[in-house]
Amino acid sequence: MSEISAASPLRGAAPSPETTPPIIRLKGLKKTFWRGKEAVHVLDGLNLDVPEGSFEALMGPSGSGKTTLLNLCAGLDQPTEGTVEVAGQTISGLSETLLARWRASTIGFVFQSFHLLPVLTAEQNVELPLILAGLSRAERKRRAVIALRAVGLEDRARHLPRQLSGGQEQRVAIARAIVNDPKLIIADEPTGDLDRQSADDVLTLLVRLNRDFGKTVMMVTHDPAAAERAGIIRRLDKGSLL
Amino acid sequence: MSIPGLAARNLLRNKLRSFLTVSGVTVGVLAFVLLRTVIWAWTAQSEDTAVDRIVTRHKVTFVMELPMSHFDEIRSMKEVRCATYQNWFGGKDPSHDQEFFATIACDEKTLFDVYDDMETPPDQKKAFLEDKQGALVGEKLMQRLGWKLGQTVVLQSQIYPGDWEFHIVGVYKALRKAVDPAQVFFHWDMLNERRPARIKDHIGWIVSRVAPGASAARTSLAIDEHFDALDVQTLSQDEHAFQQSFLAMFSAVLTALDTVSLVILGIMMLILGNTLAMGVRERTGEYAVLRAIGFLPRHMVALVVAEAAALGFVGGAVGLAVAFPLINLGMGRYIEENFGGMFPFFRVTPSAAIVAMALSIALAVVASVPPALAAYRLRVVDALRRVA
Repeated sequence: MSEISAASPLRGAAPSPETTPPIIRLKGLKKTFWRGKEAVHVLDGLNLDVPEGSFEALMGPSGSGKTTLLNLCAGLDQPTEGTVEVAGQTISGLSETLLARWRASTIGFVFQSFHLLPVLTAEQNVELPLILAGLSRAERKRRAVIALRAVGLEDRARHLPRQLSGGQEQRVAIARAIVNDPKLIIADEPTGDLDRQSADDVLTLLVRLNRDFGKTVMMVTHDPAAAERAGIIRRLDKGSLL
Repeated sequence: MSIPGLAARNLLRNKLRSFLTVSGVTVGVLAFVLLRTVIWAWTAQSEDTAVDRIVTRHKVTFVMELPMSHFDEIRSMKEVRCATYQNWFGGKDPSHDQEFFATIACDEKTLFDVYDDMETPPDQKKAFLEDKQGALVGEKLMQRLGWKLGQTVVLQSQIYPGDWEFHIVGVYKALRKAVDPAQVFFHWDMLNERRPARIKDHIGWIVSRVAPGASAARTSLAIDEHFDALDVQTLSQDEHAFQQSFLAMFSAVLTALDTVSLVILGIMMLILGNTLAMGVRERTGEYAVLRAIGFLPRHMVALVVAEAAALGFVGGAVGLAVAFPLINLGMGRYIEENFGGMFPFFRVTPSAAIVAMALSIALAVVASVPPALAAYRLRVVDALRRVA
């Protein structure tokens, strides 16, 4: 990480979570799904402030609403009631197109199953979010290489996902998440498909992104060991924070 | 990396499936081009006719004949530059019993005036005029039956009894598609001498060329009006209409070929649609991730449509690459040599190739509509939950 220069797209210093305004502010958040005629209240009037620069782990049993909450914070879903404000922007109610643009510039995603495109090399996978940014090919490549360097996989730039281990694939996915220099990294079970050593490497990487580059990380996990690496652990049960 | 680049990469993702799909499109395009070539070859004769050539026949039916006096009267009309008359002989070579070719008794003195698009060397033309048993044979028929110039051939007629001996004294080359390059012409007098008395001096039809400045349509009307008050009335048509009236007899076959070619395209579209739908279903997770990181629904549509268009293009290009040598160098030559009477020119036309390529791409794009809509309507959250 120390190799990242001032010209890096991964700029920023770690702000102090105690002194900064919240990057995520949820007010009276409700989310109801319909199973036939039966309403399923997944989130029930949830209020939450997530300080900028924090690393939060969200835990809870299956069906507690963790992923739903993450999706709402990431602008992938719309609440039934309440407001979602992220990085000063109220995103609840934004159109699909505006939300997509907002996600492209503000959010970095890390998924449990990596979801790399198998036909693209590691570098091309990392480059994907930049296609929409209107950057030149050379600039896209430069930033992709920097992001890969940040996750320690510069030498694997031309490898296809099938030529990488699970841990390496997840690190490429993290490089893809940070290549557009997002303020917020949303990670849904990022270590769920990894062995202990690979999981530790990925968590270390997320901690460094949070600590050294000020990225706010919001991570859903079932793994207590993973949660312990976060600065704040929140527990969700039956749609409410405990 | 770009969206078209990504679409191209997706094509190579499952190489066997892409190969089989492209093969399916290739076969479809090949079959389509072949059928269009058959239809074109069948109708080409009527499309390349002399605009000033008129065929006059008995008004009731082609089978009924005209009195010789009709020829003299037509020839004397001011709108007519020259005319000739002919009779159908229905000849067959007993040694080539399965071969069909037109055998026509003609007025050798006026034949070349009306058919200036039949090229014959002057010495052979002279020999044809001088030899009462002389026959003028199309070069394609000479090749097909292995006949030689100077050879004596014996034909039998499906209409007139006995053996008919001819000397091949001339070979003609057809300069226009409307002229069958596989016919036998012989002297009308030879036929007339052996015909029963009741039909002597009757002719099958009259072919005339209109005078400069005269209209073929108006001259046709003038000819028919001229004979309106007589016992034997006529029906005159320009050569194009005359050929079309022949084709009308085969309209059901042509319609069937047209329909089959459309069915083939339909099958091709279903193959493509199925492949694309499978691809989109398999990539649901990837599309969800792309949408999550900022790609819009229209980008998903572009990915699917670009992949479909690329499949259609490659399949069309391979299909045409196979069709041209197969038809123009192989099958076409065989058909022209052996079925020249019906298909004097059997070649892939540029227009058929362009239509095949355009349809291949267009149908691929149409086939991509359902999977593209599925990708467009993808709900990111649901898709991520399904593949998580």
